[in-house]
Amino acid sequence: MSHAKYSVINTHVHNIDGVAKVTGRATYTFDVNLPGMLHGKILRSPHPHAKILSIDTTRALELPGVKIVVTGKDTLGIKQGIWRRYEELCDEQVLPLEKVRYIGEPVAAVAAITEEIAEAALDLIDVEYEVLPAVYEPLEAIKKEAPTIHEGVERNVNVTRHIEWGDVDEAFEEADYIREDWFKCSGQAHMCMETRAAVSSFTPEGKLTCWASTQSAYYTQGLLAGVLGLREGDVRVLAPYVGGGFGGKFELDAAMFCSAVMSMKLFKPVKVVFSREEDFIASKRRTPMFYYVRTGIKKDGTFCARESRMFSNGGAYTGMGATALYLSGFFHSFPYKWRGYRYDGYRVYTNTLPSTSMRGFGAPQAMFCSEQQIDWICADLGLDPFEVRRKNGHTEGYEVPGQAFIASCGLEQCINEIEKWVKSKGKLPANRGIGISSCGFMSGGIFNWFDSPYSFSSAVVTINVDGTVELHVGCQDIGQGSNTTMAIIAAETLGVKVEDIRVHSGDTAHCPADLGAWGSRQTLMAGNAVKMACEDAKKQLLEFAYAEMGINIVYDLDIKDRWVHIVARPERGLKYEELVKKALRAKDGQRIMGRGYYTPHRKGMISPAYSYMMQAVDAEVDPETGKIKIHEVMTAHDCGQPINQLGLIGQLEGAASMALGYAYLEDMPMEDGKLMNPNLVDYKVIKAPEMPEAGIIEIDTYEPEGPYGAKEAGEGLTNPTAAALGNAIYHAMGIQMKELPITPERVLKALREKKEQEAQKK
Amino acid sequence: MEKQVLRFKVNGDEYEVFIHPKTLLAEVIRDHLGLTGTKRGCETVSCGACTVNVNGKSVKSCSVLAIQCEGMEVTTVEGLEKNGKLSPIQRSFLDHGSYQCGFCTPGMLMSATAFISEAKNPTKEQVKESIEGNICRCTGYNSIVRAIEAVTQGKYKEE
Amino acid sequence: MINDFHYLKPASLKDALAMYAEHDDCKVICGGQSLLIVMRQGMVAPEFLLDIKHVKELSYIKYDDKDGLRIGATTTHREIEKSDIIAKKYPVLVAMEEKLASIQTRNWGTIGGNLAHADPAGDPGPVLIALKAEIKFGSSSGEKTVPLDEFFVDYFETKMEHGDLVLEVHVPAPEAKFGCAYQKFNLLDSDMGIVAAAASVALNADGTCKEARIVLGNAGPIPLRVTKAEDLLKGKKLDDKIFAEAGGIASDEAQPVADIHASEEHRRHVLGVLTKRMLKKAFEQAQKA
Repeated sequence: MSHAKYSVINTHVHNIDGVAKVTGRATYTFDVNLPGMLHGKILRSPHPHAKILSIDTTRALELPGVKIVVTGKDTLGIKQGIWRRYEELCDEQVLPLEKVRYIGEPVAAVAAITEEIAEAALDLIDVEYEVLPAVYEPLEAIKKEAPTIHEGVERNVNVTRHIEWGDVDEAFEEADYIREDWFKCSGQAHMCMETRAAVSSFTPEGKLTCWASTQSAYYTQGLLAGVLGLREGDVRVLAPYVGGGFGGKFELDAAMFCSAVMSMKLFKPVKVVFSREEDFIASKRRTPMFYYVRTGIKKDGTFCARESRMFSNGGAYTGMGATALYLSGFFHSFPYKWRGYRYDGYRVYTNTLPSTSMRGFGAPQAMFCSEQQIDWICADLGLDPFEVRRKNGHTEGYEVPGQAFIASCGLEQCINEIEKWVKSKGKLPANRGIGISSCGFMSGGIFNWFDSPYSFSSAVVTINVDGTVELHVGCQDIGQGSNTTMAIIAAETLGVKVEDIRVHSGDTAHCPADLGAWGSRQTLMAGNAVKMACEDAKKQLLEFAYAEMGINIVYDLDIKDRWVHIVARPERGLKYEELVKKALRAKDGQRIMGRGYYTPHRKGMISPAYSYMMQAVDAEVDPETGKIKIHEVMTAHDCGQPINQLGLIGQLEGAASMALGYAYLEDMPMEDGKLMNPNLVDYKVIKAPEMPEAGIIEIDTYEPEGPYGAKEAGEGLTNPTAAALGNAIYHAMGIQMKELPITPERVLKALREKKEQEAQKK
Repeated sequence: MEKQVLRFKVNGDEYEVFIHPKTLLAEVIRDHLGLTGTKRGCETVSCGACTVNVNGKSVKSCSVLAIQCEGMEVTTVEGLEKNGKLSPIQRSFLDHGSYQCGFCTPGMLMSATAFISEAKNPTKEQVKESIEGNICRCTGYNSIVRAIEAVTQGKYKEE
Repeated sequence: MINDFHYLKPASLKDALAMYAEHDDCKVICGGQSLLIVMRQGMVAPEFLLDIKHVKELSYIKYDDKDGLRIGATTTHREIEKSDIIAKKYPVLVAMEEKLASIQTRNWGTIGGNLAHADPAGDPGPVLIALKAEIKFGSSSGEKTVPLDEFFVDYFETKMEHGDLVLEVHVPAPEAKFGCAYQKFNLLDSDMGIVAAAASVALNADGTCKEARIVLGNAGPIPLRVTKAEDLLKGKKLDDKIFAEAGGIASDEAQPVADIHASEEHRRHVLGVLTKRMLKKAFEQAQKA
């Protein structure tokens, strides 16, 4: 099915939150100000590993203006985590009772009448530590003699994951050529423009309201209730506008927890906002990974076998790390058909900032290794990198054995388009090259690690007497535009305009549960729920229309552009607004309500659907300084049916900026567990002058599982870029970059080594 | 240490506030005047989310002592619209989808507004430079650059 | 958090100098683009803060074909960047300002404040020294003018004593057959340089080098003049080979400090490359001039 012409879908629709955002009316948790509100600050551990012997808060409490100081002893001491189904992975007390495991871990919190007083009070809290030996790298932490970070966890191995299909050893036997490489992938900070923030207000009726900068109001509600000993229904979470998430804001963080604990004791609102420095040192980061990759391939370019082992630096707690461990290994096989595939992932605790999910969820790291090695193999064997990818790429109907069924796949078209584009560039000047990378990504995970009894997504649509529509969804807009995407789907399904829809989201008191914005799930899952709800409402409306119009039973009715009409005879019909008025009268004045929901069933191990893409990066290297200049990025992209046109372009360009940052600018160097660049001067984020043009070629496919054939767009797009840049540099300079980020110094080092090797050969 | 009176104009309105001299312009705007459109995203004068215009020039309000703005005219994002009519740059942002989470947007709009008032037929490079001091984590900047270009090319007129 | 301070607002330069002399624990603020950062970090906490932002007498750009360029200390970076006469006569200054921090910082921060802050990674220092600038500073007791390369003493330390304010930067009139170029090395173009190099070349009538200046940024406690390399070039015919040699000397003479952004070796190496390139660029400009 080709991209049908829709009234609203894939047209130029303004983001529905646009006016609020461009006029300064949009209020974020950062802006929330309540009467009598106190300001909270957090005292953090200066040690990477230490026992907490005592905490004396006397001096701090004596400071005028300080209202309370809390430590772990003032909480229920519950170990929490998002992996509620697996107790052993719920390993984190936000305010620890016994020991600290990373520099920056919260140990106490203060609430005072001003921020300044709260900050001053921190210096007056006396903590006695017994410093313990610490370990910072996974390959060190896994040794027998390494200090134990979590009691009972041997060798600090937090989680292991194994993925395997086919007879791997036999598949290697079939290979004509085998190559193996080690790679080192760095961490990355989410660096949301709005840092972690929460305002909690606990009232005498025993109910908690928490404004939080969160990717999932529902998760925040459940997690808070769990650690505070409250019923979920007595916790209301409001996510006003959210200033970015990127995978870092759906766990329980210290802003939410400490503000809630203090408010519960004071019965006053308490606000906690992380400084930018705190955001760097104490919000979990992208997982640093060591990857060993061994690939076997036939002379003719057919992939036979891959065997990979990965050690990830889990940091001090699990976070979302267990999922990243699995997904990295799964997407490391993408987007190719392997006769034999084996992945073993080890997530190892260390005394550093915990790592968690970040846009791409382990796939950008996996692709950096896989896609570069494929280009090197092609060079070793004299094969064409496009042809090899096309030859082995996923196709529609393919089943990743035991893991996934690929119902729609535009990979081949993506490869063809990028091949055309690259060829059109012709011969490039010296020190300049184009590198490619293809990948595929999930449209939402089927995992229910939170053990939610609710549908993964739900929606309620209500039609008012004047035809305006209230759409209640649980999905969370964090900037990616899900409010607008849902409004577009609702408007298309109901046959009205986007401006007729008011989207309600980000309030657990009014909105149905939804797992939130992660794993690129919302367009497909929440979109399906919205579509179902609107079809339900539309059906109810059309029942009256059938009665009203008395047409022949063979005819169908539909609504488009506010016009209720006979599909075969579109000129015959009545106005949508008129129909609604009549329908309400017929229903005793009750508004039309539709309900929808979605949970993936029998959709494999990972996801109901997969996006595909190929990206090319045109880059130039200064051979004397190693400085890299990115000229252009071009992506051929299959997200099924695009829904939100402006949103899609924004997601592609935004993903490219974040992924480029990961590839050559952003780094989180640590010394003895201390982050060396916790500020925006030393942590380098791409800015406008360095951002290249990032074009998009949309590939036409239709995903049966997605609403109107739609799949994800925006997270998958972070996957290919580091690999594509690495390949560009390889083709430009003949050097293999096995470590992220690709810095000028590493480039020069590789150039020197290459020169030495060539000199030796002579 | 004595507080001082600061008299200045914000978005066309006269204000008189009584502040400690160490108070930053960003703090006066957000906390004293309640204009929370202007944001803060760092402590090192890096992110630009706090950008406002002082006498028509863009400055990072986290890096300006409010008291130095005595007698000056400050414009924040709230001051861009006139009687509900959005300014050309705001309309251009809407058309081009030049925002996602929106946290950097007020600062971007203020940098853009100052630039547009000063620049004559700027090149794309100059437009990019005009927002060099504003970090955006969501959009990748290009849609913002397109929006500013469209205004400098005369595609949006004051309503 | 910024400490509480008494705020002093002089109406004129005379007032400012008098107030400054009167108060011991006193710092001067104009743009504050460097000062407020260190105050917020608690590294500096003066009892008095003297605000000279509104001292109009120090805000000017004057040019004369004989005397050259005089820039008042409270002139903003943006005013320098947008000055037509500076663009015409000293384009390297405009080019340097265009990459100095961001427009917002340049709108409020001043040249005097930048030089007084004496950050060896600062952009104006090396360029102005390459242009043979001198700096005038003074207190209520009198004024002094020194060549700019003698003004900087150590990290964040100048020749100024308590009570001294930067008053003016003076760049001599452009010579014939003169060129000056500046480049910093960084990941993002407007960041402070990981290292930087400014070079100026003045040519004799026969095209040989009359005089060269090579000034390195962030290669030591102060902008570093590589006089050894300058001497190498004097009187010689200039070509790529000698530029590379000068670069090698610059590389050796530099005293860069490693940090997370680059090792010492990489800094030295890049300084050599930048020196070589800026000398060539300055030379080409001088030939055309």
